[in-house]
Amino acid sequence: MHKELVDLINSNIPEAKAVFNEATDPKADASITVEASSILKLASWLRTNDHMPFNVLQCISGVDYLEYMEVCYILAHFDLNTPRELILKVKLTDRVNPNLDSIVEVYPAADFQERECYDMFGVSFNNHPDHRRILCPDDWKGFPLRKDYVPAKDYNGMLVYPDNKMNFEDREFIVRQNMIKKAQEKASES
Amino acid sequence: MQSRWDIGEPEPRTINKATEQLKSELLTLNMGPQHPATHGVLRIEIWTDSEVVAHAIPHLGYLHRCMEKHSENMDYRAVIPFVDRLDYLAAMNMEWNYVMAVEKMLGTEVPRRAELLRIMVAELQRIGSHLMAFGTYALDLGAFTPFLYAFDYREKILRLFEEVSGARLLYNYYWIGGLWNDWTDDQLDRVAHFCDEMEEEAKKYHELVSMNKIFVERTANVGVMSVQDCFDFGATGPVLRGAGFKWDLRKNKTYGLYNEFDFDIPIGTGEQGVPGDCWNRYIVRMKEVVESIKIIRQCLEKLEPGSVMAKVPKIIKLPKGEVYVRTECPRGELGMHLVAQEGEKSPYRLKVKSPCFTHVSMLPRVAPGQMIADFVASVGSIDIVLGEVDR
Amino acid sequence: MNNFNTPAPHYETGSVKDYFSGLYKGITTTAKGMWITFKYVWAVKPVSIEYPEVREVLPERSRMRLFNDVLNCISCTQCAMACPVDCIYIASEKLPEGAEIKKTSNGQPIRLKLTQFVIDEALCCYCGLCTTVCPTECLTHTHDYEFSQYTIDGMKYDYLAPDVIAWRDRIVK
Repeated sequence: MHKELVDLINSNIPEAKAVFNEATDPKADASITVEASSILKLASWLRTNDHMPFNVLQCISGVDYLEYMEVCYILAHFDLNTPRELILKVKLTDRVNPNLDSIVEVYPAADFQERECYDMFGVSFNNHPDHRRILCPDDWKGFPLRKDYVPAKDYNGMLVYPDNKMNFEDREFIVRQNMIKKAQEKASES
Repeated sequence: MQSRWDIGEPEPRTINKATEQLKSELLTLNMGPQHPATHGVLRIEIWTDSEVVAHAIPHLGYLHRCMEKHSENMDYRAVIPFVDRLDYLAAMNMEWNYVMAVEKMLGTEVPRRAELLRIMVAELQRIGSHLMAFGTYALDLGAFTPFLYAFDYREKILRLFEEVSGARLLYNYYWIGGLWNDWTDDQLDRVAHFCDEMEEEAKKYHELVSMNKIFVERTANVGVMSVQDCFDFGATGPVLRGAGFKWDLRKNKTYGLYNEFDFDIPIGTGEQGVPGDCWNRYIVRMKEVVESIKIIRQCLEKLEPGSVMAKVPKIIKLPKGEVYVRTECPRGELGMHLVAQEGEKSPYRLKVKSPCFTHVSMLPRVAPGQMIADFVASVGSIDIVLGEVDR
Repeated sequence: MNNFNTPAPHYETGSVKDYFSGLYKGITTTAKGMWITFKYVWAVKPVSIEYPEVREVLPERSRMRLFNDVLNCISCTQCAMACPVDCIYIASEKLPEGAEIKKTSNGQPIRLKLTQFVIDEALCCYCGLCTTVCPTECLTHTHDYEFSQYTIDGMKYDYLAPDVIAWRDRIVK
């Protein structure tokens, strides 16, 4: 199914440059990688074509590999006779300000999913009707699910890791015991 | 659409210059984070024009616990309590999905008894979750009686689960490779006894609530989501089946051993109201309870003695790759996208596509034109659990 | 009248026949429902358990508060590593030379001296992962669910304290 779909995509939308990623392990899922700039055209073709349509967008999941970011679109076709599923990947090499076209006009389900991708990874989507954070508060700094994310020390005056709740004395019990022992030995020597 | 409210433009009357400058505005109401009818901490900003809703904007994130980030630092086994806490009212189904994803990548063969017990426990959990949905939905609409009736029977299910797994709500029962504990024969007898009682009770609910004229007037023709709307927004589960489309992952994309079982998929046929309205979504859930009882009875017949846990390495490490696994949960279709790196003890990325998240995105489409009371009925009929929406 | 282009709600006007049939259906369905509810006055046993005078007997696998039998603990720290929320704090040191090596109740030798074993029960999520990996089964779940304290620090249970060790005989079989 994937190989046929790759050929169809490349013949209909050549700028997508679809590539079939065979899974390195046979138990994992295969996927198709396409170019980031062609995602809107490809989405509308995928929804409306006659050979292999996909009428539902189920999930948009971002993955942060350290050199690049990937956005996976998980599509499905709900049909009682010919159901099918697809994982469509888009590679984004710009980690500072990754950017993609929004596919909300084609699949309205993308509304909340893209907002979550923006919230967690910082991927901004052009022409999104309501482009703001969804799960984190609207004035949160940073993008939590990136691998190099360090939470800010405080948020509007509230401490993020308050000392009295971190159970430091219990965690460092053995370090403190050693320090006490060393201090006692020093005291007994001198 | 011609309706009683269309009386046409009124003639402009000016008593004095002041009334010429009178304007009316939309009223902003917060169906706020604390609300008895939003099933959790969901904030919906409603803009109303007198009693009719003009826009509804959901604001999420009040229960966001960064479960996806936490799971990147835990062992594969330690993620299971986190996954439990997603949809805390149907925890067994959540655990099954995650455990299936890990087992698919590992390639473990789960023993037959464990697979059958997994189905039985998942269906019991489905009954429990639908009872909760039924009780709280009736409570939202003002019916105080069915709530406690439903919770009485849900309590019986929770007691059964406590005997076998140790906890009533957040079980940590489905383990990678099988199940934690086995069921003894007298626990299985109690399950059979529960099934008989539940069948009687489901008939009682049908008489008490489903056909009650007040309930029908409140929910029929309200919050209509057509099949095309459901495809647009990615809705699944009772929402899609209530609209009339017969799509259930247990039959259309079988997983586990569901292909050996004989059960129907109820859809909303418009017996009262139109397919896709609140009444049909509700009746799909009630009929699914009856189907689940059928599945549990067949499961009890097919069970044979055996082990419930396969041999799994002490430290689980998955090969490089990713997998997207879907299961049918009481609220819709749950999907988990698990990305693993070679030789790591924890997932590289675990993305949870929760059904309630996609259903909440349908609220702005359904709301305009409804009265506020109808809007409360629509929100309740989607059956949201905020733990899943916000993760 | 409608300045905001809000779609108007759709209601149907009915005929006289609809009025009377609706009235009849309303009365009959409500009466059926009320008969079901009325039967609860005499025909159904009450299911409420009058807590705290009556307490339910919990099943034996119930996962309530943790208890650790430190005299049997071999300080392997498996429980601390398995905990998803890191609520177990363990510290141990080598036995002084020439000390006697005791054995646990299932025969394993205790080679380390346990100096700290604290579980923060407020952080604990009662998942049971720590009890399954304990090799000597000294860490178990009891059936105690009534252990609320006035301060959060009071929820940290130090299992090496002498008064907690005295509880061992009551809990460990």
